[in-house]
Amino acid sequence: MHTAPAFRPFAARGRWTIVAILVTLAAVSCGSVVLSIRATARSQHRAGVVVVAARQRTLAERYVKEVLLVRAGEQADPALTASLLDKSAHVLLAGGEAPSVNGDDDETALLPTSGRTVRAQLTQQQRLVRDLAATGSAILAHRPLSGVRLLAGEHVAARDPVERLRVLAALTANVALNAARTIATTSDRNVNQLITLQATVGGVGLLISLLLAWALVATTRRQTAHFRSLVTSSTDLVMVFRGARCRYVSQSVLRMLGRGEGELLGEGFSGLLHPDDRAHLAAMLASGEPAELVLRILNRFNEWRHLDAHVTDLRHDRHVRGIVLNARDVSERVRLEEELTRQAFHDGLTGLANRALFRDRLDQALARSVRSQELMSVLLVDLDGFKQVNDTLGHDSGDQLLQAVARRFDEVVRPADTLARLGGDEFALLLDGAGEAQAESVARRLIESVSKPLELDGRELSVNASVGVVVHLGGHGESDELIRHADIAMYAAKDAGGGAHRIFRASMAQEYGDMLELEHELRDAIERGELTLHYQPEIDLNSRRVVGVEALVRWESPRRGLVSPGEFIPVAEATGLIMPLGEIVLRDACRQTAQWRRDGLAGDSFVTWVNLSGRQLSAGGVSDIVRHALDEAGLPPSFLGLEVTETAIVPEGAAGDRARAELQELHDQGVRIAIDDFGTGFSSLGQLRRFPIDVIKVDRSFVQGIEHDARDAAITANLVTLAHALGLLAIAEGIESGGQLASVRELGCDLAQGFLFARPVPADELGKVLADGDFSSLIDAPAGVG
Amino acid sequence: MWRARAHIELACVAVTAAALCLALSGCGVATRAGAQPAARSVRVTERDFRISGPRTLTAGNVRLDVENQGPDQHELLVARVGGSATLPLRSDGLTVDEERIQAAEVGSLEPGAPGARRQLNLRLAPGRYVLFCNMSGHYLGGMHLDLVVR
Ligand SMILES: [Cu+2]
Repeated sequence: MHTAPAFRPFAARGRWTIVAILVTLAAVSCGSVVLSIRATARSQHRAGVVVVAARQRTLAERYVKEVLLVRAGEQADPALTASLLDKSAHVLLAGGEAPSVNGDDDETALLPTSGRTVRAQLTQQQRLVRDLAATGSAILAHRPLSGVRLLAGEHVAARDPVERLRVLAALTANVALNAARTIATTSDRNVNQLITLQATVGGVGLLISLLLAWALVATTRRQTAHFRSLVTSSTDLVMVFRGARCRYVSQSVLRMLGRGEGELLGEGFSGLLHPDDRAHLAAMLASGEPAELVLRILNRFNEWRHLDAHVTDLRHDRHVRGIVLNARDVSERVRLEEELTRQAFHDGLTGLANRALFRDRLDQALARSVRSQELMSVLLVDLDGFKQVNDTLGHDSGDQLLQAVARRFDEVVRPADTLARLGGDEFALLLDGAGEAQAESVARRLIESVSKPLELDGRELSVNASVGVVVHLGGHGESDELIRHADIAMYAAKDAGGGAHRIFRASMAQEYGDMLELEHELRDAIERGELTLHYQPEIDLNSRRVVGVEALVRWESPRRGLVSPGEFIPVAEATGLIMPLGEIVLRDACRQTAQWRRDGLAGDSFVTWVNLSGRQLSAGGVSDIVRHALDEAGLPPSFLGLEVTETAIVPEGAAGDRARAELQELHDQGVRIAIDDFGTGFSSLGQLRRFPIDVIKVDRSFVQGIEHDARDAAITANLVTLAHALGLLAIAEGIESGGQLASVRELGCDLAQGFLFARPVPADELGKVLADGDFSSLIDAPAGVG
Repeated sequence: MWRARAHIELACVAVTAAALCLALSGCGVATRAGAQPAARSVRVTERDFRISGPRTLTAGNVRLDVENQGPDQHELLVARVGGSATLPLRSDGLTVDEERIQAAEVGSLEPGAPGARRQLNLRLAPGRYVLFCNMSGHYLGGMHLDLVVR
């Protein structure tokens, strides 16, 4: 906005108006003076004419007297009087010095007489003066008057010369006085006209001046109003500063801030500015250089308003005498920008920093550390069993849990620390200047903060968190490396059973580094569906028929080739990937079994066994997942068996109790339960009785040695006996030779499974195996043959 | 002179307001009432120092159109005279004694400026009249005209 004119209501047009007023008044004054002078001159002239005309009468009468005196022999000089008459008559007409008559008369200066009528009268007077003088001379010379030729048209009837002379004198005096009277009346009239003219000129001048002044005032008022309306109605914010003090703020400023003028004028304005902006504004006001600056100022509600201001120096403008700030309220734009920035660098769910911002902060901290050699710690936090919550309670609950956890974490950290959510249930924390002890303390507090029950949809639940800590000792460092190390430490924590923290050690890198890599690939594999199920038949050694299958997960990695479950299942368990993996296995197994059933390949006693990991059990919610899988496939529960490890169901405490309760629940509904790797754990028989179990599985390690190792044979025998004593079935797995088969049969095993019968095969191939169905020849073959 | 000027300026101030009104209202033109229609119009001319006009007229209403051809001012008086054609003079011996002929005077025009044209309505009965100018010396200077009305 161009401000300057707004502050100059008297500029340009106004100045010319003032000049016009002054010129008019001056012209009127000059006119008046000129008219006055002329009027005065005329009065003087009139007075002179009257005096001289009156003197003509005196002279004419004296001339008559002197002629009579001379004729009577007395002493007189009529000729002089005649010449005075003639001279005066000439002066009256043509102007000049009228002669003095008695010596005591003033000489009177006259102007030439103007006006046709008066000039005619005075010319006639001249003629009459000459007629008078001629007549007088003729009388004195005793010449007959008939010889005197009269010039002025007189027809004097009188015969008496003296009477004739007196008539002529009377005519002379009369015409002179008439002329004087005419001059007097015309100049009176003129003076009146002059006065009228003067008054008119003065009046008109005054009128014009008044009109101009009125126009000026109107213009000024209009311009002022215009300026005011510009300033007040426009959204432009205008402030005028003199020195550091605010002298003027427009209405729009008051409106924007919701504050009164009193709060802003003087020092008030600066007081409401953001402390960071005060020095900047002060510098701008001191220099007056045209500049753009952004100011933050508190409004009535103590919110920051952002002003985009332009500085104009009008200190030398006498209408302003200050520095003008034209500003726009850009708060909305700034807010939008901040919001966009926040969205780009913050996690939408929890409001915490996101991965990008965390990386940025970490990079900055590392850069500082190169110089300052300052310590820092990075903590990675993963929630144990979060997936479970997400799947059993729904995504909304999962989101709420994450938000609740974020709040808990936020209470633990200092404002200076950067708490971020990297994705999923993974959080990160950057502690500037924190060494190992401090980082451990924070890690403990983080774990503790979420172990206290969280309220979620009216349910209370607690979460375990695993924390990996890496300490950077100052100097050069790579953020990637730090995060990777923290990740490894976190695996170590998870590997230790979760709910704990571990500090990264160089020795962990080897141990967990490979695992980490495998995890990433496994995660991708699950998403891409690279994991498939193979099924291995289980044979009833009495009926010699296939009574079930064990579902075995198989990972054909494009990079690694076939990956052994023994290799990736521990990783999946340590990282929590076992949850999605286990679910996939359950779903697929149930669906496939239902299909076989529909195809008539699976009889009523057929059971598909699925392995449940200890992690899955301890996380809770497994019964829901199982039921869901069964429902989805439309499979009766009795067709599904769950193989659980001894270690998963033995632990005391909440996790163990929950696992057992869930298994019991499933068992009650008809789901079969088998104890896998029985005998490797340390469960007591007493505990075993409390478990809802149908089958005991004899671990392959015993089967492998059963032929040659008496101890393995003895253990196997005991296990079978125990199973039967408890009313359970015993199944031997890993049967690879006829000898092994013979041995387990001998020891009383009810069921068997192994390469001897069939390798694990894809579902479609298994169909054939089931259709063939009879392993009699194999089982009845003598031992050692195979 | 200062006094005269002060006077003028005082007048100037005093008249200002009036002049404003005057200037705004414009000059009114007075309408002259129509003169009474005369039966006859007779031309009479005055000049230094003679009166020209008809010497005889019939009785009745007559309007004299009087023109002063100058150069001096002139008046016009009309008096009915008896036997004598000369009029009585005042003691100065220069002007007619108007008081003595007052009864005989039938009409008059005040002194008029050179170039002026004026009318004088008369009801003339049969008789002898004199038209004359009685400014100082004019009568004796030749400004008289005898008129006979029948
Ligand atoms: Cu006359």
